[in-house]
Amino acid sequence: MAYTPQYGPGKSIVAENRRKQMNPGVKLEKIRDVTDEEIVLIMGHRAPGQAYPTAHPPLAEQGEPDCPIRKIVSPTEGAKAGDRVRYIQFADSMFNAPSQPYQRTYVEMYRYRGIDPGTLSGRQIVESRERDLEKIASDLINTNLFDPARVGIRGATVHGHSLRLAEDGMQFDMLQRCVLDGGVVKYVKDQIGVPLDKKVPVGKPMDEAWLKANTTMFHSLVGTAFRDDPEYVEYVQTIHSKRTKYGFMPVE
Amino acid sequence: MAKIERAQKLFLKALKEKFEGDVQDTKTSFYNFDGVNQSPRKREFMAASKKVELRRGISMYDPNRCHLGGLPMGQRQLMTYEVSGTGTFVEGDDLHFVNNPAMQQMWDDIRRTIIVSMDLAHNTLQKRLGKEITPETINEYLHILNHAMPGAAVVQEHMVETHPSVVDDCYCKVFTGDAELSDQLEKQFVLDIDKLFPAKQAEQLREAVGKSLWQAIHIPTIVSRTCDGGTTSRWSAMQIGMSFITAYRMCAGEAAVADLSYAAKHAGVIQMGSHLPARRARGPNEPGGILFGHFGDMIQANRKYPNDPAKASLEVVGAGTMLFDQIWLGSYMSGGVGFTQYATAAYTDNILDEFTYYGMDYLKDKYKIDYKAVDPAQKVKPTQDIVNDIATEVTLNAMEQYEQFPTMMEDHFGGSQRAGVMAAASGLSTAIATANSNAGLNGWYLSMLMHKEGWSRLGFFGYDLQDQCGSANSLSVRPDEGCIGEFRGPNYPNYAMNVGHQGEYAAIVASSHYTRNDGFCISPLIKITFADPSLVFDFSEPRKEFAKGAIREFVPAGERSLLMPAR
Repeated sequence: MAYTPQYGPGKSIVAENRRKQMNPGVKLEKIRDVTDEEIVLIMGHRAPGQAYPTAHPPLAEQGEPDCPIRKIVSPTEGAKAGDRVRYIQFADSMFNAPSQPYQRTYVEMYRYRGIDPGTLSGRQIVESRERDLEKIASDLINTNLFDPARVGIRGATVHGHSLRLAEDGMQFDMLQRCVLDGGVVKYVKDQIGVPLDKKVPVGKPMDEAWLKANTTMFHSLVGTAFRDDPEYVEYVQTIHSKRTKYGFMPVE
Repeated sequence: MAKIERAQKLFLKALKEKFEGDVQDTKTSFYNFDGVNQSPRKREFMAASKKVELRRGISMYDPNRCHLGGLPMGQRQLMTYEVSGTGTFVEGDDLHFVNNPAMQQMWDDIRRTIIVSMDLAHNTLQKRLGKEITPETINEYLHILNHAMPGAAVVQEHMVETHPSVVDDCYCKVFTGDAELSDQLEKQFVLDIDKLFPAKQAEQLREAVGKSLWQAIHIPTIVSRTCDGGTTSRWSAMQIGMSFITAYRMCAGEAAVADLSYAAKHAGVIQMGSHLPARRARGPNEPGGILFGHFGDMIQANRKYPNDPAKASLEVVGAGTMLFDQIWLGSYMSGGVGFTQYATAAYTDNILDEFTYYGMDYLKDKYKIDYKAVDPAQKVKPTQDIVNDIATEVTLNAMEQYEQFPTMMEDHFGGSQRAGVMAAASGLSTAIATANSNAGLNGWYLSMLMHKEGWSRLGFFGYDLQDQCGSANSLSVRPDEGCIGEFRGPNYPNYAMNVGHQGEYAAIVASSHYTRNDGFCISPLIKITFADPSLVFDFSEPRKEFAKGAIREFVPAGERSLLMPAR
């Protein structure tokens, strides 16, 4: 029987947004044009134009063992080239940021290969081979998964996801890696906080109506209350009940 | 599940004190607080550090240079905290146990405590040596023991001894369920169960202890600090043996002494914490070995507030998060300062208190349970549907409160803080409703799943580890997979590594007994021992004691200034 993913329960707009983001059959909506060079600058792993540093020789050169798994799983471009594993990390405001930590991880697992996501409350990191990462990062920044004001690209000192917003609508960042400048959010420091030689624009903040319509987090004050999606709540109760029952006595 | 209205928000006073402007605003100003200088305590630290540096010639606390390469914390408002249930506002720094002598003393008082049976020794003395045991001989023995236990000689000539002023917290009292015997012992040595406990609790305790006679011993704080928890039984056993020799005129070398030693070190000993496996590298009487049920017995708020199991349980949360998160996981097992932020969220600003009392109101509204009745007949059956209903409603309410009060979300700025607090309120409400500790734990785990799905986030990686698989082990009691809540503890397989859980688990377990007005959770001996008003730390009011420590009004034991030049 072929498995058809359902991408989660719920009848609310939040639930629907979650499913759309996760479903690789739904094309992510391209909203802005941050260039590859600009993304490289924000991530700060290598200088634009610099060759990719390697962790090992290209697979074609180093001689792969005869391994059945290797025959099933084809390597990504970065793995083939022997790239280092590097990261991009996001801090998503609880005020209607379009993606949120677990949602990001689910989205990435459905849409990309060769990744290692990590999920916390105030940040979500995804690691992969460097050239693969840059492609993924371009999606994560240029599409409806991102908002310049409510999503921060932060390697460390991520504090801000749960704080009130600044008066200009920006998420708090004690390092102020990005600033609102003439209506456009510009990165003045890379994700780890090293000052950039030039400001890197990542676009205008989305308006409140768009954020509310596109967020993947329930929120009773600025969005949709979790309580208002009873199907979702019941689903969680069902999962919990079944786990409890079969933990107690794993038979019918 | 159906939302109910609660006019009184217990956290409002704290939020209004902590944050300027409307506590429901979604926006504020940042980056204009003068960094670390906004905090009086940080300023004090910087001034103190300068003096230290001048004296020792080595650099020290310098946040303006060392934090983030020259960017000090304080780009947002550095908050004060109200210790829940006390009305006392304190600096966050003063809730780190290093800066708080009350917190240190709470742990000292547990680690230096040992409970030893007198019955085994009396059997040896009577049956093997033919000695007569009477209330008078017991009184004499206790006089001798209270001379010897702090570090004084009773048999030998030409011995060194300890200065009474530095070991003044060391003593032994006794207790029994035998009222007649109790009446014949000197009052100074007796823990009077009837006077210390409400009538129903006292009755249960007396019945459980029966005619046996127990010594509640507290060795000097300074000894257990210099050595470790494993020392407690050894120090006490040595002095017990010497005191028996003196009181009953025994030969110091006769073989019967070995029986007394064996009883005092092994056969008749109740440790506060079990010996941990070798990989933890800790002996007995260390925090990782304390069963949650025993911890619920150490904390005495249910004795003082028998008709408010919520309040009594919240005191266990405060004490437990301090001991298990700040001291055990945060220092014994890890190190540094980060763990304090996890723990304090559960006992500051009345946030968990508000969520828990919402649960109490919900129980009254939906299930017609008066939580203050503490009557076993008034509890509901712990069915899965009822557990789900209570835990879901308490969690949804808590999430909505965080959402409706953005300053509260800012107060609990980390997901682990919120997760622990919401799940604790859910677990406590469920356990108080059902009087079933495992039902309470099950409510905790549903809360975690609900939280994670609602906000698409939970806590740090540790929450992935135990909270997303907790449903499956919360009703399992098979070895290595589960246990009833009372017998779980900080070293229970799935709980051993994660901050933000253990104190709350202990409270959930305890609440299932407090809600029935039980005299004890699992140990009547521990319950009675920590009811002692002579202890340095008041175990009936841990949060008040922590607040006193934070505002520098708590006087701990282990004073050494007598023995050193004044600075």
